[in-house]
Amino acid sequence: MSYLEYNTKTAPTGWRKVLHLNWPLVVLLTAVASVGFLMLYSVAGGSFSPWAEPQMKRYALGLAIMFLVAMVPIWFWRNMAFVAYLVGLALLLAVEFFGSVGMGAQRWIDLGFMRLQPSELMKISMVMMLAAYYDWLPLKKTSRPLWVLLPIVLILLPTGLVISQPDLGTAILLLTAGGLMMFLAGVHWAYFATVIAGGAAGIWAVFQSRGTDWQLLKDYQFRRIDTFLDPSSDPLGAGYHITQAKIAMGSGGWTGRGFMQGTQSRLNFLPEKHTDFIFNTLAEEFGFVGGISLLVLYVLVLVFCIFAAIQNKDRFSSLLILGIGLTFFLFFAVNMSMVMGLAPVVGVPLPLVSYGGSAMLVLMVAFGLVQSAHIHRHR
Amino acid sequence: MIRTPLRPLARILEARQNGENPDAIERENLRIRHEQMRDKSRVRAEGRLLVLGIAFFCAFSVIGARMGMLAASEPAEPRAQVSGHSIIASRADIVDRHGRVLATNMSTHSLYAHPQQMIEPDRAANALAGIFPDIDPDRLAARFKDPKRKFLWVKRKISPEQMQAVHDIGEPGLLFGPREMRLYPNGALAAHVLGGASYGAEDVHAAEVIGTAGIEKFLDEELRDPSRAGAPLELSIDMTVQAAAEEVLDAGMKLMNAKGAASVLMDVRTGEVISIVSLPDFDPNDRPNPLVEGNPSDSPLFNRAVQGVYELGSTYKIFAAAQAIDIGLVNKNTVIDTKPPFEVSGFKIGEFANKNYGELSVEKIIVKSSNRGTGKLALAIGPKRQKEFLKTLGQLDATPLEIVEAKGGAPLFPKRWTDLSAVTISYGHGISTSPLHLAAGYAALANGGIYVNPTLLKRNEPATGTRVMSEQAAATARGILRKVVTEGTASFAEVPGYHVGGKTGTADKPKERGGGYYDDKVIATFASIFPAHDPRYVLIVTLDEPVETSGKKPRRTAGWTAVPVAAEMTGRIAPLLGLRPDFGEPGLEKIFSTSR
Repeated sequence: MSYLEYNTKTAPTGWRKVLHLNWPLVVLLTAVASVGFLMLYSVAGGSFSPWAEPQMKRYALGLAIMFLVAMVPIWFWRNMAFVAYLVGLALLLAVEFFGSVGMGAQRWIDLGFMRLQPSELMKISMVMMLAAYYDWLPLKKTSRPLWVLLPIVLILLPTGLVISQPDLGTAILLLTAGGLMMFLAGVHWAYFATVIAGGAAGIWAVFQSRGTDWQLLKDYQFRRIDTFLDPSSDPLGAGYHITQAKIAMGSGGWTGRGFMQGTQSRLNFLPEKHTDFIFNTLAEEFGFVGGISLLVLYVLVLVFCIFAAIQNKDRFSSLLILGIGLTFFLFFAVNMSMVMGLAPVVGVPLPLVSYGGSAMLVLMVAFGLVQSAHIHRHR
Repeated sequence: MIRTPLRPLARILEARQNGENPDAIERENLRIRHEQMRDKSRVRAEGRLLVLGIAFFCAFSVIGARMGMLAASEPAEPRAQVSGHSIIASRADIVDRHGRVLATNMSTHSLYAHPQQMIEPDRAANALAGIFPDIDPDRLAARFKDPKRKFLWVKRKISPEQMQAVHDIGEPGLLFGPREMRLYPNGALAAHVLGGASYGAEDVHAAEVIGTAGIEKFLDEELRDPSRAGAPLELSIDMTVQAAAEEVLDAGMKLMNAKGAASVLMDVRTGEVISIVSLPDFDPNDRPNPLVEGNPSDSPLFNRAVQGVYELGSTYKIFAAAQAIDIGLVNKNTVIDTKPPFEVSGFKIGEFANKNYGELSVEKIIVKSSNRGTGKLALAIGPKRQKEFLKTLGQLDATPLEIVEAKGGAPLFPKRWTDLSAVTISYGHGISTSPLHLAAGYAALANGGIYVNPTLLKRNEPATGTRVMSEQAAATARGILRKVVTEGTASFAEVPGYHVGGKTGTADKPKERGGGYYDDKVIATFASIFPAHDPRYVLIVTLDEPVETSGKKPRRTAGWTAVPVAAEMTGRIAPLLGLRPDFGEPGLEKIFSTSR
């Protein structure tokens, strides 16, 4: 019995729930998605097809799903967390065996009406699972080794499956989000210090071993790492995206070239311009001002999530809200760093803006959970 | 951790006394304890959240700063999707001394094939054979159909018309790559100077143009240096003069039935080579392949003016006379006995056609071209001093001209420089040098006794050289050279309006397998300087195996072959060089014609 359920009577019921939605968050999400519609309209050369229109439809569907999810009491979702996690894991296994191969990687299952990308689903169900776990776990056990090991397994299981697809970007997101959830739940500092120090030492050892007798990786693997870390060493191969992306941002300058005036993206110099690299189109057409504005929208979404989490007295709810906010943050931080050449290109979409079905629907479900937690909070 | 007990005995007893349920106290205390724990964990969680918040803030700052940095970066021009210019393909133009283009670059296309993308390899091969006659359609089709082949070059350079024709085949497996090509718009003009260029590293997007011969190879690095920023390489060559010289020399070579010819025109003060010709020549746009057998000097690629080392015969005599005058052994009027016999180390020294000139002044020795007279001067000078003098005149080392072939033109001379060597070398036998060497040596006489290195690069300042003889000795030598033209063997060298001085030289060609000299094959050379009273230019004309057949007997001497060609050339190029013809004014002739 959770602390929450003592207080069900304080939660709104029926249609009154709609009034208690976190409306500013809904407005913010719509604003972010609208930026996406605008850019997709622009990269298609001033046309709603082929990208802007399906994206709008999907957003409408996503909004509806968000409301539906929000109406369901949060304790139901908490009880479903383990099921969601198991289903996510099963789907990941299924994609391993029955998935279609797209862009050299096996990522989705064709359901007929849409392509389901289980790795997207996993991002949410893992956050739910971890939040439920720490809600269930007595506080004093949080830092005991056995109870620290369990969530690590919960994180590494889906991460390993995602890496084998291979989808390095999502795997990094899962790992980081899971680790940060554990950090927020209050696991002792020493664990994190150990993991970080161990990881750093491992990387250092691998690089130190290069060229010596006890070399830990093969030469070609080192070369791959080199190109991965420094794409400019291969300007026509791996570095091509990033070179074009930087040119687009430079040509945008401070105020941009104007709506639908971006030459880099409209003349097809910029690859993946409607998906992962859509931010560069924005920066080229609306410049620094446009880019910062989008960043501010994202920050506001995150700030609203954090405030919702602080307001919420329930452990599951606040951890869930923070976890979802965190995932959202990681999405756009990794994407922006990637398209601006701060991080290697790993294929992470810009949340709500990039063209793509699974990612958007999953995010809307996630924000539905945030809304549900917000509505059904203890007052 | 000190815990407040859930059932404090004092309160429980008190409650029991008051008849209250003590369990209520326990529940109350449990609730308080839970709330305390929760509050503690909240404080902790909020601390963690703060840490995370700071991390988020840092991430946002970095992203924002990066955005600003990129926004402020120079907006580069959008690049084409297939950029790939990893090979630097720009090469500086080569221009003549007046900025006229001798070598430049032209964009063209290369044609290559991706056989695996081809739809109808047989039809494509046949159509290609129709466009390029040198393609064998069957062999090409076989290569197109080879399943292992992913890529093959069809043609390295194609013209726009050919490109359109290939386009019209409509075969998707035939592809074009941009290609920079070295173009010599004047064809064979100055071919030996320019040399030629071909492709080095190449891929489908670009190819590296590298020099293969001539100045293109010698200055390859410099021409390819990106820091030149397209500044052309300025040569000392004058295109107009070069064209005139080639035309005259070509006509002269044919008229004199020679198998080859060379000429060098050099500015005596700066060492700049204004024109340098070697015939037969070639078109550097389509460089012929080197000979695989036979004598390489028969190839048109052979640069006679620089690589061809010949015994240049009597043209050398003036060096002996000049040195003898310079070191004060004789003056131009000193009389020397040239009667036979004159034996050195048991060898008899003869004259041309066994003539006997009797007693001659030094001046007359050169004018009449007496071997014995020059030989006696050489003996008086001595082999050591002669060798040193010729060394300072640049006659014993390869010329430093800026073409790769220059290194191949190292003079040949005896290792042991004996008295006999000194005598034969004084009249140009036993030493083989190139016409360019001779030009550099004569330039020192013409400019007042200073040796300057010949160069193909335009000099913007006067050259500094080393003094090799006194000004008076050089002036006397010039006077003698003028006399050779007015009274001696080079009477055909007179050009109306231009006073020329010079010396002829006819040397028998040595047999290739050794064993003496041909008696019917000669190298005829005329070394001249003009204008004779104040020389500005030296002109060397050499004909390989000339025969002048207009007389009863075939005549081979330079006076009959090289001299008329040189005279025609001087008449053509002197006006081009901006020299004013001097026809003299009757009353002033004595004052001006000091060299007469």
